[in-house]
Amino acid sequence: MLKDVSIGRYYQGNSILHKTDPRIKVILFVAYMVTVFFITKIPTVAALLLSTIVIIIMGRLPLKVVWNSVKPILPIAFFIFAINALTIKEGNALWKLWKFTVTDEGLMKAFLMSFRLLMLILITSILLTLTTTPLKLSDALEKLFSPLKVFKAPVHEMAMMMSIALRFIPTLTDETDKIMKAQVSRGADYDTGSILNRLKGYITVLIPLFISSFRRAEELAIAMEARCYSGGTGRTKLNPLKITGKDILVLVFLTILAASIIAVEKLI
Amino acid sequence: MSDNDCVVEASNIKFAYESDDAVKYVLKDVSLNLKRGSYVSLLGRNGSGKSTFSKLVDVLELPEDGQIKVFGIVTSDESRYMDIRRRTGCVFQNPDNQIVGTTVEEDVAFGPENLGVPNPELRERVDSALKYVGLYDLRNRQTANLSGGQKQKLAIAGILAMKPELLLLDEATAMLDPVSREEFLTLVERLIKDENITVLTITHDMSEADRTDYVYIMENGRIIDQGKPQDVLTNVPKIKECGLDAPIYSKLVYRLSTLTNTPYEEDEIKSFDGMLRYVTKNYNPRDIKLINDRKEQENKVFSVSNITYYYDKDLCALNNVSLDVYKGELLAIVGRSGCGKTTLISHFNGIIRPEGEGNVEFFDGEKVYTTRKKGDIKMIRQKVGLVFQYPEYQLFEETVYKDICYGPMKMGMPEDEMKKSVLAAVEAVGLDDSVLDKSPFELSGGQQRRVAMAGVLAMKPEVLVLDEPAAGLDPAGRKDMFDMIRNLKRKGTTIILVTHNMDEAYANSDRICVIKSGSLMTVSNPQELFEDKAKLEKMEIAIPPLVDMLEKISDALKLSDEDRRKLLRATNVSEAAILIGGQDA
Repeated sequence: MLKDVSIGRYYQGNSILHKTDPRIKVILFVAYMVTVFFITKIPTVAALLLSTIVIIIMGRLPLKVVWNSVKPILPIAFFIFAINALTIKEGNALWKLWKFTVTDEGLMKAFLMSFRLLMLILITSILLTLTTTPLKLSDALEKLFSPLKVFKAPVHEMAMMMSIALRFIPTLTDETDKIMKAQVSRGADYDTGSILNRLKGYITVLIPLFISSFRRAEELAIAMEARCYSGGTGRTKLNPLKITGKDILVLVFLTILAASIIAVEKLI
Repeated sequence: MSDNDCVVEASNIKFAYESDDAVKYVLKDVSLNLKRGSYVSLLGRNGSGKSTFSKLVDVLELPEDGQIKVFGIVTSDESRYMDIRRRTGCVFQNPDNQIVGTTVEEDVAFGPENLGVPNPELRERVDSALKYVGLYDLRNRQTANLSGGQKQKLAIAGILAMKPELLLLDEATAMLDPVSREEFLTLVERLIKDENITVLTITHDMSEADRTDYVYIMENGRIIDQGKPQDVLTNVPKIKECGLDAPIYSKLVYRLSTLTNTPYEEDEIKSFDGMLRYVTKNYNPRDIKLINDRKEQENKVFSVSNITYYYDKDLCALNNVSLDVYKGELLAIVGRSGCGKTTLISHFNGIIRPEGEGNVEFFDGEKVYTTRKKGDIKMIRQKVGLVFQYPEYQLFEETVYKDICYGPMKMGMPEDEMKKSVLAAVEAVGLDDSVLDKSPFELSGGQQRRVAMAGVLAMKPEVLVLDEPAAGLDPAGRKDMFDMIRNLKRKGTTIILVTHNMDEAYANSDRICVIKSGSLMTVSNPQELFEDKAKLEKMEIAIPPLVDMLEKISDALKLSDEDRRKLLRATNVSEAAILIGGQDA
């Protein structure tokens, strides 16, 4: 039932993007996030799409995998599009639908809003979750935020929490699927009836899921303690992060790409 | 005994978990020693305190009273508890809840990383641990995609990379199928031999305990028996009293001797060969009477035809499976984990609907319902009740009563009928009315499972599908579960039992259906299934110990072919004892 959900799932591979130091990817990710919010014109949209395709090729990601990570967001993107298109009143009116007017400016803004959302998800997926294992990602964040340790911020703990959360996404997805099947066998129905009815239906999934998550958390804590985990001090790393020439190359290349998107926006 | 050859020394341990109203002692007085390099099992029913004890050894808890020394270090010594933990490895029951890493090698590295092992030694340790357990080729694989058996081997690798001296297995094989279980145990035994590691295993599997050098039996927070497995486990009445199970040969000798008043020598109950001596010396059954004569069933209640199912485009989960189920029978579906059993039963009530040629039909008198028709699915879900593995994890309501009511309510059962139905279901699963007002979450694991089953039974299904109903239960719990299932069958419910436990399929079913990698290999009655040895091997099926024992007895007694066939009709030890011990017994 839920086997298509792939948010937060790592896609195993051996591409340049997979091998790039996760810190570089996090920095690039931030750069592209900013870029996404610069976009207001159609040529820039095209430029951003083009660069995204380049990044997907660098990660050697099958289109189906990329599509699966965006798919769950589509309804939300469509919803945002519809709301904006119907409510923005600036610009020239195109159609009149009952009480709402659809304007050209409204359409453009609505499109940009939903496009940005989709790009945010897409870039997060291809730069981070799909090509970076959660442990590497949390390593990167730990390193990047380590200056904050001066202020006694629990940087290592936060990173560990994040990587465990990501590690458990597939496990909990499978579990949700199992619980749903079991409740469906008892007559639960998640697809029909009023919204209230459907929400009630989800309670039959959420409560068992919460309870099992707590149980898992408890067992995992014991297992981690048994393996001598006692916080970040004194830990070594199997694959310590190391920035190589290739990483710099990727950084430079993708920064130029991001810069040229902004250039397109400003110059055209 | 010097510190050097004693790895664990526990003396007069007391331990209690604090709860709101009362202090409940889990361990009342436990003393136990483990010698270096020994392979020891700790047995007892669920809740007897075994797991708690292993946590005390790894300093995950501290004893309230008494003292445990591990490697000569007292566990309550706060400055040195890490020295104990770094030399001790634990493998727990649920593979999913002990994996930290997303990829295989990241997970193996977790322990040594915590110890601060520097590179390149760290890399070496990880690689050699992975090679040792045979997962090196999968080192970059995601842990979520491993099978249960591979996950438990991964747990061993993670411990191995920490160079342990003591290994604690807390029901580590409980969730594995027989093939993976055997692989896991072989691995552990190889470790004992190669690395001189001391192993303490907590288990409910008596054949596992039989392989160890020494056995402790725990009951109600105390060690009540200890010794070599062949001495302790073969004490049939005592073992039964502790909720455990004796080896099948001992049970037969004990049963025969009480049945026919024929005493046995001490060595005759302690080994398989001793049992053969005892049987050939005292009994000479001829013209064995025919029991369990099966009538061919005629009324089809349910039929599955040409089911094919793909997980992904190229990953075939089921390959053209067709199967008829007859009214009132108990059909067992057996096969390894991941062979497609769960996918198949998900077709039975339309959770997965058949594609292409496939069809699932339910026969109700003249009427035929099919899951191909959307309108029929509600009806079929009521007629075919599905209880998945570990159903206790699906409970969600405030009270047991409300939870059991959920199904009947959804199908629109009238209030007064629902009440009756709930009460009947609770009785059928062997629970007391008093649980109805309690929260399902304050019950014990075994009780929760019964509540979940009652939730399906209350819908009054005609066919009940049970997926590994006894998983994770101790021997006494398993026996109760199957007594309950046989009772349901007696009352007319058709039962489909999905299991990887051959013994239980053999003992309880009218027909056995074997599935291997998504294909249906055969459907036949249990006796015929085990006659063709070559075919069995091809299907990767182990012969149940009972069948094996009865065949060897037939050989020893030089039974005629006909008598042999009749003896093999016995589906449990009691029946076998009656057949061997004489008609009049």
